[in-house]
Amino acid sequence: MSEKILYSYTALFDTPNQIIKAAKKVKEEGYTKYDVNTPYPIHGMDAAMELKPSLLPYVALVVGLTAAISMIIFLWWQNTIDYPLNIGGKPFFALPAYIPVTFEVTVLSASIATVVAMLFFVFKFPNNVHPLHDTDYMKRVSVDKYGISIQAEDPLFEAEKVKSLFNSLGASSITPIYYSDELVNFKPKILEPKFISFLIILFIVVSGATYITLNKLLFLPPYSWMMVQDKVIAQKTSDFFGGGSGMLTPVKGTVARGFLPYKFDKKPELAAKELVNPLMPVKKNIELGKTKFNIYCSPCHGYHAEGKSRLRGQFPIPPSLHSDKVRNWSDGRIYHVITEGQNVMPSYAHQLSRQERWAIVLYIRALQRSLNAKESDLQ
Amino acid sequence: MTTIDYSQELPVVEGRPTLQEINELIAKPLDTKPDKKYYIALAITLTMLLIGVIGLGLTFYYGVGMWGNNNPVGWGFPIVNFVFWVGIGHAGTLISAILFLFRQKWRNGIARFAEGMTIFAVMTAGLFPLIHVGRPWLAGYLIPYPNQHSLWVDFNSPLVWDVFAVSTYFTVSFIFWYVGLIPDLATLRDRATSKIKKTIYSIFSLGWRHSNRHWQHYEMVYLVLAGFATPLVLSVHTIVSFDFAVSILPGWHSTIFPPYFVAGAVFSGFAMVQNVLIFIRKIFNYEHIITLDTLEKMNKIIILTGSMVGYAYAMEFFTAWYSGVQPEQFTFINRAFGPYAWAYWIMVSCNVLFPQLFWIKKIRRSIPIMFVIAVLVNVGMWFERFVITVTSLSRDFLPSSWAYFKPTLVDGAILLGSFGFFFTWILLFTKSLPVVSIAEIKSVVPGAQPSHEEH
Amino acid sequence: MSDVIEYTKKKLPANWNKTGIVLFALGLILVILSFMTDVSRSSFNAVVFLTFLTSIGLGSLFWIATEYLSGAVWSTPFRRVAEFLASLLIILPLAALPSYFNLHDVFHWTHLEVVKGDAYLSAKQPYLNVPFFTIRTIAFFLIWIIFYFYITRNSLKQDTTKDQNLTKKNLRWSAIFIPIFALTITFFSIDWLMSLEPHWFSTIFGVYYFAGTALASMAAITYLVVKLNEKGYFVEGLVSDHYYSFGALLFGFLNFWAYIAFSQFLLIWYANLPEETLWFLQKWEGNWLYFSILLIIIHFVVPYFALLSQPAKMDPKRLKFMSLWILFAHYFDLYWISMPTYSEFAFMPGWIELGFIILTIGVIILVFNWKANKENLVPIGDPKLKRGIKFRL
Repeated sequence: MSEKILYSYTALFDTPNQIIKAAKKVKEEGYTKYDVNTPYPIHGMDAAMELKPSLLPYVALVVGLTAAISMIIFLWWQNTIDYPLNIGGKPFFALPAYIPVTFEVTVLSASIATVVAMLFFVFKFPNNVHPLHDTDYMKRVSVDKYGISIQAEDPLFEAEKVKSLFNSLGASSITPIYYSDELVNFKPKILEPKFISFLIILFIVVSGATYITLNKLLFLPPYSWMMVQDKVIAQKTSDFFGGGSGMLTPVKGTVARGFLPYKFDKKPELAAKELVNPLMPVKKNIELGKTKFNIYCSPCHGYHAEGKSRLRGQFPIPPSLHSDKVRNWSDGRIYHVITEGQNVMPSYAHQLSRQERWAIVLYIRALQRSLNAKESDLQ
Repeated sequence: MTTIDYSQELPVVEGRPTLQEINELIAKPLDTKPDKKYYIALAITLTMLLIGVIGLGLTFYYGVGMWGNNNPVGWGFPIVNFVFWVGIGHAGTLISAILFLFRQKWRNGIARFAEGMTIFAVMTAGLFPLIHVGRPWLAGYLIPYPNQHSLWVDFNSPLVWDVFAVSTYFTVSFIFWYVGLIPDLATLRDRATSKIKKTIYSIFSLGWRHSNRHWQHYEMVYLVLAGFATPLVLSVHTIVSFDFAVSILPGWHSTIFPPYFVAGAVFSGFAMVQNVLIFIRKIFNYEHIITLDTLEKMNKIIILTGSMVGYAYAMEFFTAWYSGVQPEQFTFINRAFGPYAWAYWIMVSCNVLFPQLFWIKKIRRSIPIMFVIAVLVNVGMWFERFVITVTSLSRDFLPSSWAYFKPTLVDGAILLGSFGFFFTWILLFTKSLPVVSIAEIKSVVPGAQPSHEEH
Repeated sequence: MSDVIEYTKKKLPANWNKTGIVLFALGLILVILSFMTDVSRSSFNAVVFLTFLTSIGLGSLFWIATEYLSGAVWSTPFRRVAEFLASLLIILPLAALPSYFNLHDVFHWTHLEVVKGDAYLSAKQPYLNVPFFTIRTIAFFLIWIIFYFYITRNSLKQDTTKDQNLTKKNLRWSAIFIPIFALTITFFSIDWLMSLEPHWFSTIFGVYYFAGTALASMAAITYLVVKLNEKGYFVEGLVSDHYYSFGALLFGFLNFWAYIAFSQFLLIWYANLPEETLWFLQKWEGNWLYFSILLIIIHFVVPYFALLSQPAKMDPKRLKFMSLWILFAHYFDLYWISMPTYSEFAFMPGWIELGFIILTIGVIILVFNWKANKENLVPIGDPKLKRGIKFRL
């Protein structure tokens, strides 16, 4: 057993008046490393010990103001720059509406900061060990006695002098306090295998639990997060109708919306005879025909349908549409050519709707009329 | 006529107990094994809790359709209960912070317990918004953080203010309560005999050694926390009232809502604290610490806040008439004489009329009568939230969409469960931590402070 | 240390009376001149004048009642200051006359031809009509004066009898007074301030006026107590614990006012209903915008930071300065409430406003002086007095 090291001399008093007197006296004697221990705060003790006022309120002030200002700036950034959203016709920077949140954040951060500052700067957290702990002295002052303790570190400390000072003040008991063996022989044991394996196990358990919670537990039935739903998924078999198909085959003769089958496949004569232009030769329709003609027909047929191709021989030049043959064709016959194509001309049924095709027919008629005007047109 | 000597200060603690006796008395429930009565009480609260859990299970399995909420009344029982419990949670911080700032020494006997109650009540209250969203496991989205959706919560919404207010309130109340506990935990550590207890108390007392160099900072921190908690406690119920009042629904949009809600919260909170304290002081023999004078003072605060609530009812009625706005006028007539007239008159009689009995000193000092009145106050305050929430929603601007709200059994089970949850915590608290602050009581025992005559 | 409190009555400094008379005379002349030049503007100013005096007088009575009810002792040595200020209640009927004779200039709802054509105003007519308004105002004054009379009489009687039953009696009077006070101050503020803009309504308005009242009267009490204490008028003087109580109450009510004002603004701003926003919109247009912003700074921001720290609340010099500041802030607040109705856009205060402020100060000094020279400045018979003097937190 090593030699005991003295921490302090302590004295116990019975009344609050005595302890105030004692504290004043000790202070007067010039001791600096002393402390008073009382079961509850004694009014006037701070003045007796001549302690400086606590600085902790400034922590609250500084942190509180910082939090308030940062919160306002954050809300301004969030609502005007990052994610501007019109809410109830309020301005993006709606200061009155920010005040409640800002206030709460201010209070929260300032309170936490003050308490944390007290823990670290005053209580020396996480240090929980002190020679005074577990002594009879401590057990008395935590109940009903008022104690004072002068530390051996104090430059003026002399055991006998301190004892006689306490005696003269009327102390009910005077005891020396020693550092406990544990404290003296304490060595940090951070690298001990036990501690390290504890950390490893802790790591595995925490990460495993997190993984299982986030990836398995949260997806246990009935919480499927809407991933299991009764619906057809493309390219997947479905048992709903039987037969594995997600859709039933349409009834025979079903016609898709907006689709009319073309009855005159490879039958130009029949088309010429039976098809009638449903559009009236009015300006609107002719304009439409002109637009479409210029886009789809004019590259080969030329802007005036005279067979003036702009393709410079890359494609056979079609004949003029002003020939007698074409002029004598019925509307249906021209329509059939656009729909089915002729010789090297492909079908335009996919590019042009029925209405557009008829409009083109109207426009071709207009072009033909322009070169071969009737007598009556000139009047 | 009893005469009071106004030139003498009334003692806060009666019978001049020694400090040692106070120590033993307050620590006794922690040292002794719980008796049969305690287990019976615990069994009752746990049964209530179980009923609530069943209600919640049904809700989660089948969905919120199990509740009575219907189309116009989207806010049914959950919001009523939420506001009710947040309100209960207000007395604690009021007692410990505001009365501390006003240097009312009689608060010392009841502050710790009331703070504990605050924490449990806020925990209970916090459950309801989570339940009400229908998918409580998604409630994390209420917290603003830079997320993968690049979305923010709507900081202009009072419901988000609520998230901030309630979580801040819970955190600060908890810190306040814990800071108050530190010296007591140290005292318990020093008298503990078993090693496990001693280790636990040592860890949580953070090395406290009653040093005056610590007391000095500790008292300052306590003052700062009280200074923060006071506006905080006002802000919390104010923000809860904003949930209603920023809307334009008649009967909700009224500028008096913030102070009116705060007064109501303090009112119901005090009634609840008083109810439970009556049992505590009897069971643990704290009659000379939590004195009849203290209870009388609480009753005075109940009558004061009850009258404030009555004032708010009156002003709402007057302003509805004075405003000349027809939907507003209709809402108030509908409240008093419409289909929910029964709830309205329960509210008025329990909140405004019965507390007026406290004007009589005998009633103020009679424990059975004050207990009954305080229970009625809590009933009344629950109905106040019911009246505000349900009557306004069930009949608003469009008569074609009016509907009568009828709670279901599941609603009732969850309400009962919330009481079970709250009282289970209270029971556990009474047996695990000192329900009266040892250090604070010692500091107000006669003769505990040095006499000022010397200087 | 003896149990008997030695108190010898001292007259207030003579120059107080002189200052009071000079200010009063100067103010009166300016006010009469202003009524001769611009009746409408002067009448609006007279409303501010009346409501400010009510704030000080009625607020003081409220603080007296609060002291009795809460059993507070720290304020007992200075209760007389509040009692003397409360005697402003006696002159309120006189202060009401200038605006009462010009009701037609001030209150829109007195124009019967307008009321007839306005559905909202005619719906309010059962409440807002001149005879009922007069009856209410007289009733409020009467009720306040009765309570003032009984409470202060009992307190004065105690100086000689030292009878503890008088404290008990006053406790009863105070208990009855507080609920009546709540109702009367509410309807007084609705009548004289809210109905200036008869279409507008706000449930919280009574509480708003109460917050300003409690704050302003506490500031007046604080200023006078600190000032008189400097000249040694109180038995053993004030210690930091007393100062702290004054400072804390000022600070607390400062925050309370801000809380109520903000609640009222936020709810109206957020809901954005035209029938409510008109009141704030008026104060957001033209010059009034600067007044509104100044109000926030003068009535909250500056005094908040000035009184935030604990040492600041105990500093007599700062308390004295800040209480004058707060008194001005309350006057400014009332002015901000009433004047936009008079002039909706461009508006600048001028000599008319100055005249009314001078008159207000003169009246307060004269009334206080008159009572303070007549009665004891310390309630020597009060059983709580000794505890109050020895008060430590």
